[in-house]
Amino acid sequence: MTAPHDGNGRKVSSLAEIPTSIEPGRDLWPNIEARLKESPAAAPVTTGAHAIPAHLRRARPPWLAAAAMVASVAVGVWIGRSLLPGVGRGVEGTAATTAPSGFAAATDATVLDAAYVSDPRYQRQRAALLRSLPARLAALPPPARAKVLASLAAIRKAKEDLESALGKDPSNALLQELLVDTYQDEMRVLTDVREASEPGRGI
Amino acid sequence: MAHAQAEDTRVEWEAALVQRARGGDTRAFERLYREHAGRVYGLCLRMTRDVQLAEDCTQDTFINAWRALPRFETRSSLGTWLHRIAVNVSLARRRRSSPVEPLPEETEEGLAEAWTLETPVEVREIETAIGDLPDGARDALVLHALYGYSHGEAAQMLGIAEGTCKAQLHRARKLLRERLGVEVN
Amino acid sequence: MRIACGITLSLLTLAASGLAFAREDRTFDKTVAAQPRGVVDISDVAGSIEVSGWDRQEVSVHAELGDEVERVDVSSEGGRTTVKVVLPSHTHGHGEAELHVQVPKGSEIDVSAVSADIRVSGVLGVERLNAVSGDVTAELGDADVEAKTVSGDLRLKGHGSAARLHASSVSGDVHLEHGAGDFEGSTVSGELVVSLDSARSIRARSTSGDLRLEAKLAHGATVEATSVSGDVNVRAAAADGGFSYEVSTFSGDITDCFDIKPEHAGRYMPGSTLQGTRGEGAGHVRLKTMSGDVQLCDRS
Repeated sequence: MTAPHDGNGRKVSSLAEIPTSIEPGRDLWPNIEARLKESPAAAPVTTGAHAIPAHLRRARPPWLAAAAMVASVAVGVWIGRSLLPGVGRGVEGTAATTAPSGFAAATDATVLDAAYVSDPRYQRQRAALLRSLPARLAALPPPARAKVLASLAAIRKAKEDLESALGKDPSNALLQELLVDTYQDEMRVLTDVREASEPGRGI
Repeated sequence: MAHAQAEDTRVEWEAALVQRARGGDTRAFERLYREHAGRVYGLCLRMTRDVQLAEDCTQDTFINAWRALPRFETRSSLGTWLHRIAVNVSLARRRRSSPVEPLPEETEEGLAEAWTLETPVEVREIETAIGDLPDGARDALVLHALYGYSHGEAAQMLGIAEGTCKAQLHRARKLLRERLGVEVN
Repeated sequence: MRIACGITLSLLTLAASGLAFAREDRTFDKTVAAQPRGVVDISDVAGSIEVSGWDRQEVSVHAELGDEVERVDVSSEGGRTTVKVVLPSHTHGHGEAELHVQVPKGSEIDVSAVSADIRVSGVLGVERLNAVSGDVTAELGDADVEAKTVSGDLRLKGHGSAARLHASSVSGDVHLEHGAGDFEGSTVSGELVVSLDSARSIRARSTSGDLRLEAKLAHGATVEATSVSGDVNVRAAAADGGFSYEVSTFSGDITDCFDIKPEHAGRYMPGSTLQGTRGEGAGHVRLKTMSGDVQLCDRS
């Protein structure tokens, strides 16, 4: 390895005198900026700990089209909070305000989601599912409805716990993978509830 | 007094930029990047000992930081927070590619804080000697002796006990002394 | 007088039809010809659906109908037989029907229910079983099976023939005995208990429910089990080629039967990993949790 500092022959009497700052040989900002803005469905992005393994980038089960989209979006992408603030939040607020009584806890925007995936397709799909969730839940048989609400609460808690842990260890690959999995599971649940309450099932 | 005031001003300026960056302002984030990139890259380079890896780690550090910005408490030091992320990124990369070396026994033995050299040595020679240290010793030395983190802070960033951190520093000092041929106090 | 007679007559007619309705046998029976490997679609809202395979090239339906069921439609065309319980629109899905359907055993069946339990036996073709709050209990044939519920439990029993099996529930439990082949299962808060006589691949996932997998792994098999807070317990045996394993947890405990100690990320940082190889390491087992405990042992 080349020593970080050539130092121009300068001598020091203490390690504290060694400059801590070393300018990279090239400007890294353009690449960083591009990664901040690029679509996450493009080439997988190394998030620092290690790239999400290839087997997690496999296509999702064929019977989950919505979750397949989540996988192609979320894989290789760090699910963060700040990329598109406000997008989706308004929609979720709509879902919350139109929720029939008793479903507010399940559909409240602050409860169901505070983190965003930057892909607009995912956000649109999720927002649409959330908008219709109160009506879908109301259409389910009461025993099923109660269990689904409990499962959505479990997913919410899992997301909160994972995000909290990631706050302390942002480049932890295991936590990142589990968070991606949890988002996929949420999409699966929302999709299953929608399908279960569709007309033609007699509800 | 003037220095303290200047520092307060800088912290306020940085907090304002963080706030804007949280709102999606990449230009504000770029200014933060420009401010901290050198120290982050320096840390990555000394930990990974490879220019390409250090560039990757630097980029990953700032990407992770951008995404974790909502969790950053503006009262804390942004630089320390970035270094914490950079250390995690570097360690994770290293864990993947090389076996984990055994930890030395912990020690509570006191350590000199100044890391002064009996006689002046060329910066390049010191950097080379630091680069040749075993991973754990090098990490502890870089964070403590170069970047000025306390034993506890360095230990926490590296995920090791404070006693282990001190043991690594002892080891680093001994090896530097042998390598440079000068006493390191 | 005539009006009074007319009204009386109308009332009598109505009463008669009402009486006839009450006396009407609330059962339904119909048999139609069907192809030996045709498709049979069955749907019911509430009640139960029992499907069994037989050797005849016919689909036979016997139903016991609740008062609010309007009718049962059975039709067969172009290799597809449809059995559908129809409710009047005003009943809002409250009518119950207990369906007993016999199908050619080579049939591919597609069964949908809302609050009806589904039971399947003796069917060898592909099975697609969907229930919202009903339970699904099915014997697996030689073909692929996809079983889904929202809140009902899934209980599947195979006989060791390799196939692709998908079993998922939102909040119900997933149980599989004597499966074989490729298995993919998930539940959010239910438990997932799976036993495979021979596994090529296993993917199992839960959010808070526990996962228990027991499998004899084929050469080069892959196992992936993930839970956020549920415990993961895997007993795997790979007579042919062995397997490598990687177990990661953020804050759970790892125990194993292989005398290898987990490596901790750091004394002051959470996170443990356990890696190793059994035999030649041809297969691969990967287990991960956030806070659930993980145990990995040989299958006895």
